[in-house]
Amino acid sequence: MNMLRSLSTSLLLIFLCGFTVLASPGPTEVLKPTLQEMIDVIGDPALAGIEQKASRRKKIMNIAAKGFNFAEMSKLVLGRTWKKIDQQQRTDFEQLFTKLLQNAYVGKLEGYAGQKIEYKAERIKGKKAAVSTLLKNPGSPPLPVNYLMINADGGWRVYDINIEGVSLLRNYREQFRSILRKDKFEGLIKVIEEKNESFENEDFR
Amino acid sequence: MKTRNYHIIFILLLFVGFSCFGCARQDNSNSAPGTVTEVQEESDDVLDMLLSDDLFDDDFTSDRGYHDPWEPLNRVVFEFNDTLYYWVLNPLNKAYTAALPWDLRYSIGNFVNNIAAPVRLVNNLLQWKIADAGVVLSRFLINSTLGVYGFGDPALMEFGLEPKPEDFGQTLGVWGVGEGIYLCLPVLGPLTVRGTAGFAADAFAHPMVYFIDSLWVSGEYYALSRVNLLSLNPDVYEELKKYSLDPYVSMRQAYLDYRRTLTNDNVLLQRSDNRL
Repeated sequence: MNMLRSLSTSLLLIFLCGFTVLASPGPTEVLKPTLQEMIDVIGDPALAGIEQKASRRKKIMNIAAKGFNFAEMSKLVLGRTWKKIDQQQRTDFEQLFTKLLQNAYVGKLEGYAGQKIEYKAERIKGKKAAVSTLLKNPGSPPLPVNYLMINADGGWRVYDINIEGVSLLRNYREQFRSILRKDKFEGLIKVIEEKNESFENEDFR
Repeated sequence: MKTRNYHIIFILLLFVGFSCFGCARQDNSNSAPGTVTEVQEESDDVLDMLLSDDLFDDDFTSDRGYHDPWEPLNRVVFEFNDTLYYWVLNPLNKAYTAALPWDLRYSIGNFVNNIAAPVRLVNNLLQWKIADAGVVLSRFLINSTLGVYGFGDPALMEFGLEPKPEDFGQTLGVWGVGEGIYLCLPVLGPLTVRGTAGFAADAFAHPMVYFIDSLWVSGEYYALSRVNLLSLNPDVYEELKKYSLDPYVSMRQAYLDYRRTLTNDNVLLQRSDNRL
C-alpha cells in the first residue's frame, strides 16, 4: 500500500517534470538565460582581447540566435521592400543586417563590464510579448531596456529592443527607408557592408 | 524695479505651489497602502505601450511618422552642428571633463536642474498634474535645504522623490497642439516647431533669466549647463554616429520617439535630469 502510494507519487512527479519540459518556455524564460550566457562570454577573461574577437563574437552570436529572431528583424526592418526582393537577396540581407546588429548591440554590451540585468515585468499579447528590464552598471544610473518578443518558428525570440521609447528597429527602418528611396536595394547593401567594415578593427574587451 | 517684479512672480509661484503641495500630500495618503500596485500598474502601462508598436504594418506612417519638408536645409544645419561638435564642443567638453571630477560635475548638474524647478512646476500645473507639481516643489524645497543649494539630490536618494520633468513643449502636446515640422537648428540641434516654442516659453519661467539681467550672460549660463550635461553623457552623439548609416535620419527618429514618449507618458523613461 505504502509502496503503491510512493510509486504513484513518483509517477506523478515524473509526469509533472515531463510537462514542464514539454511546455515551451515563456518570453522571460528564453531571454534571461540568453542574455546571461552572452554576458558570461563577454566577461570571460579567457576570451578577452582583439585577437579573440572573432571567436568570442561567434560564441556570442550562437547564443544570441536562441533568443533573438534575426530573420524576423530583417523582414521587419525592410518593411514593404522585403516583398520586392528575391530569396537570395533576402538571405544576403539577413546575413548583413545580423552582422550590423552584432556590431551595434554586442559591441555596446561589450563596452559594459560587470553589468547586471534586473527583470521587471513581462506581458504577453497574442503572438507578441514585452519584457522590461533595467541594465545596471556600476557608476552610472540604471538604463531601462525593454525587449519585444514574438512567438514564431517554435519559440519566443526578440524582434526589437526599446530604450527609453526609442526603438532600435524603427530607427534602422527609417534610415533604410531614406537610403532605399535614393539608392535602391543595391545601394543599401553597399552602405551596410561599408558600415560593417568600419567595425572590423575596434574592440572593447 | 524690474527684478523686484520678478521676485514677486516667483514668490507667487511658490505660493501656488504650496497650496498644491497640500493637494499632493492628500493624494499620496489616499493611495499610500497601494504603493506596490502602483508600481505594477506603471510597468503594465509601459508594456502595453511597447506592445502597441506598428512595426508589423507595412506602411506605418500615421502618428508615428514625421513631417520634415525642410530636410535638405536641415541636413545642411546638421552638418554644421556636426562640425561644431567635433571642432568646438568636443574639445571644450574634454577640457572641462579633465578639469572637474565626475562628482563635482554631477553636483553642478543637480544644481542647474534644481534652479530650473519653476519651469517644471509651471508645466506640471499647466498639464493639471497636481500630484507631480507637489513632488517638484517638495524636491525643490528638500534639495535647496538638505541638498545644500541643490548640489545634492537627497529628495531622490533619501525620500525616493523622482524628478518630474515637464517642459512647455510637452504641455503644448498635452493640450493637443501638433508637433509641427521637424527642425534642425544651429547649435540647438533637433527640435520641432512645438518644441522650439516650448523652449522659448520656458525661458520665461526660468529664474536665471530674472536674476541675470544680461541676455548674453543668460546665454553663457545655458551654454555652460549644456556642456556640463554633455560631460555627464559624453558618448551619446558619437555612438549615434557610429551605429547609424544615416545619422541625420537616426537622430530625427530618436528625437521624435523620445519626445513622443515624454509627451504621452514618461513611464518608459528612467527619470534622471542629468541624462542627455
